[in-house]
Amino acid sequence: MPAPLLEVNNLVVEFSTDAGVVRAVDDVSFSVAAGETVGLVGESGCGKTVTGLALLGLVPTPPGRLASGSIRLDGQELAGLDDSSWRSVRGRKVAMIFQEPMTALNPVFRIGNQMIDVLRQHQRITRRQARAAAIEMLAKVGIPAPDKRIQEYPHQLSGGMRQRVMIAMALSCSPRLLVADEPTTALDVTTQAQVLEQMVRLQQEFGMSMILITHDMGVVAQSCSKAMVMYSGRVVEQAPVTELFARPRHPYTGGLLASIPRIREQRIPELPVIEGTVPDPLNLPEGCRFADRCNKVRDYCRLAQPELKPIGRADSKVACYVPD
Amino acid sequence: MSPTDPAKPLLQVRDLHKHFPVSRGWLRKRAVLKAVAGVNLDIAAGETLGLVGESGCGKSTLGRAILQLQKPTSGEVRLAGELLSGLSGPALKRARRRMQIIFQDPFASLSPRRTVAQIVREPLDVHRIGTPAERRERVEYLLQTVGMRSNALNRYPHEFSGGQRQRIGIARALALEPDFIVADEPVSALDVSVQSQVLNLLAKLQDEHGIALLFISHDLAVIQHVSDTIAVMYLGRIVEQAPAMEIYRSPQHPYTRALLSAIPVPDPRNNRHRIVLEGEVPSPLNPPSGCAFRSRCPLAAAVCAEQEPALQPTVNDQQHWVACHFPGAE
Amino acid sequence: MNAAAEAMQRRHGDSLWNKAWRKFRHDRVGVVALLVVCAYAIVALGVVLGWWATGWADISGPKWAPLSSEHWLGTNIIGQDIFSRAVYSTRTAFEVGLIVALGATFIGAVLGAIAGFFSATWIDEAVIWLMGVLDSVPFILLVAAIAYSLQDSPWAMHIAMIATFWIGTARLVRGEVIKLKGQEFVESAHAIGLGRMTIIFRHILPNTFHVLLVQATLSFVAAIKSEVILSFLGLGVKDGMSWGLMISESTFEVLAGYFNNFIAASVLMFGLVMAFNMFSDALQDALDPRTVK
Repeated sequence: MPAPLLEVNNLVVEFSTDAGVVRAVDDVSFSVAAGETVGLVGESGCGKTVTGLALLGLVPTPPGRLASGSIRLDGQELAGLDDSSWRSVRGRKVAMIFQEPMTALNPVFRIGNQMIDVLRQHQRITRRQARAAAIEMLAKVGIPAPDKRIQEYPHQLSGGMRQRVMIAMALSCSPRLLVADEPTTALDVTTQAQVLEQMVRLQQEFGMSMILITHDMGVVAQSCSKAMVMYSGRVVEQAPVTELFARPRHPYTGGLLASIPRIREQRIPELPVIEGTVPDPLNLPEGCRFADRCNKVRDYCRLAQPELKPIGRADSKVACYVPD
Repeated sequence: MSPTDPAKPLLQVRDLHKHFPVSRGWLRKRAVLKAVAGVNLDIAAGETLGLVGESGCGKSTLGRAILQLQKPTSGEVRLAGELLSGLSGPALKRARRRMQIIFQDPFASLSPRRTVAQIVREPLDVHRIGTPAERRERVEYLLQTVGMRSNALNRYPHEFSGGQRQRIGIARALALEPDFIVADEPVSALDVSVQSQVLNLLAKLQDEHGIALLFISHDLAVIQHVSDTIAVMYLGRIVEQAPAMEIYRSPQHPYTRALLSAIPVPDPRNNRHRIVLEGEVPSPLNPPSGCAFRSRCPLAAAVCAEQEPALQPTVNDQQHWVACHFPGAE
Repeated sequence: MNAAAEAMQRRHGDSLWNKAWRKFRHDRVGVVALLVVCAYAIVALGVVLGWWATGWADISGPKWAPLSSEHWLGTNIIGQDIFSRAVYSTRTAFEVGLIVALGATFIGAVLGAIAGFFSATWIDEAVIWLMGVLDSVPFILLVAAIAYSLQDSPWAMHIAMIATFWIGTARLVRGEVIKLKGQEFVESAHAIGLGRMTIIFRHILPNTFHVLLVQATLSFVAAIKSEVILSFLGLGVKDGMSWGLMISESTFEVLAGYFNNFIAASVLMFGLVMAFNMFSDALQDALDPRTVK
């Protein structure tokens, strides 16, 4: 098996608040192979976005800091880089797109100029060449009449179009890895489907790897080959997508899958739920962080945190003492 | 005219319009945005109507126009026979006891500087219901009903999670024992595991109190669980309406079909055919002639540009209404 | 997204005020500034209660006496004790500052909130028109006009300052209210049948308190500074003593080479204004809901 494109080991990201230090990402390790799409799933506050930001050196510092761990991308260690080194990595090797495309685009500049700036920052090309490249990229992400659209301001575009522009900008320097943070969450269902399909197509065309951060298991099922489930700052399960959905090992994954609203043949009296709420990050339990909401909890679950360990024949791992 | 219930419905909406004047450019050309363009609805007591559509289709405006939070441009709204459109002052205030709203954003819908007790109690204070001691008791009871502990009383909204805040919002809406509640995307800002908790709670409370519910959502999967009837809205109009199970079993309007097929299914082995709609929702300032959906419709023909299809029952089912020239066609 | 921010928000039994106070306490400059302001306030209170500086108008020594144990800062051109006069002026400064800050903030809050709530109606237009008119009259001219029309009333200066200072507050509050009135908690207040005025004053205005508090401190400082200028020009304090009057008196002394009067008034004023400004900055940081640390 070839060396993975991205290897993250024991990543810890902390935020200091005046009520104490919060570990938003706690000892997270994973790898992404070249050309692979990995889903990073979890609910708000689980640390999935912070993990994504850490991969681009974008954790707001202070109050946040990368406390320990290593991030190796394409053979280069990224943890501990200084600002200017990060700038040369961002865009060319790893790029990110965000949930809300309106806030990520500068409202006072035409989208063409914003794209040209990005292109010329990383490549020695003329404005005219950059403009041609920008138009080509816009066409690739499925924007009709790109030579006209390039003249427009962000507010003149619909949400779906803006997200496409963001994707075009992120891909314009052909990064090896794209981190997409809830790229379709702010979009309508019909647009969501279009954008998602386009992203998968482009990922294959460019042969890049992708980390898809989302709360939506449906999105993961449709576009990822592997998925990691995060809960309260830790990865609780990691498995090939078919395996994860067919046989969730962690009770949280199981509960999450069951509670997704889905269209059913018959109406059921009550939707399955996971009772309770996520633990307070300032006041975490000693043992398994899911223990209080788990229906299979044993006494020893509360003593120490379970490690992420391989399970079964497929390339799966789970952090649970009593996996399914 | 509309898919009316033979029994006298609690809420009747007839030919409701809500237009917004919009000024464009420095010449201030006046244009009219028809957010709601002629909607008819009936909701019986204790029944839930699910209203589904994409952002900008006018579903939230419709909910607010029914509640008179935004004055309708024209049309009638009747709650238990009383004509709401046109009420004002004390009469409107009295009518507000019977109808409430639950909002989407649990972080914006509760006043940040008031305690939970003050927030839930306020409707009782406004309408002078009971003695202060009775009010206090009722607030405690309400919080209990929505599954909050009584130590929540003197705390502030920002101390709670999204799901808990949504419960507080529900308690406030229930305080006046309304007959009718508009729930505007009540779970779309919540995490999946919390979403089902709140949906179950809403379904339970509605059952217990016999409330008529207008449940607004963009998510056909969420809406299925709570609704008896589902109405699909596109550019200010209802394009299809049917009993909940029926609409999933045999959607008649091409837009409903596309919506259903676009839902991401949490099953990686599912490779079902997806109908990808062309283009985007047209601007409501300048909707297409005839059928508003024709610009994105795979079935569009010449007649669709000329004539706006009326919402009428399908041949097989008097309960299933659709506004399409080619209903059911593939 | 930010788990840290959320964790911080979920502390129990915590109003927004407690949170702001916790943040403020960590701002050392702000705390020191607040202590300095408090010290000044105690001095002013002492003057009001007659504890000290009672002999500010007495001629208690020779003219231009040097610094001594009897006259800590010497005496002025007619032999009055400069220290007592400077201390007494602290009271004047607080009186002017407080009256103007309260008046301007109150009017600014009420008119700004009403204009914002009824934005794009004639009510809003009327308030904007009033702000525009008052804003276009040069400040000194306005004071002179008001002083003249009030027949040399001692309140002319206060009224003139309130009449102009409320405008800035009103503009900010109006903007804030326009933002707030579209929020869902305001809509829900409509939905339960609350009247419009109740909604404005119970639900919307309290959410602009952070703006009001900061604006009040800024008006306070501006009033003290304006008082000095106006008194210097003879348009300000009519009876009593103030730093502005002291500086005005000192013009002859400075020409003759005696700086005590001038320095005492300037330094005391500078200290208060500086401390208040720094306190105001710290307050703004602490109250700003966007800066979560």
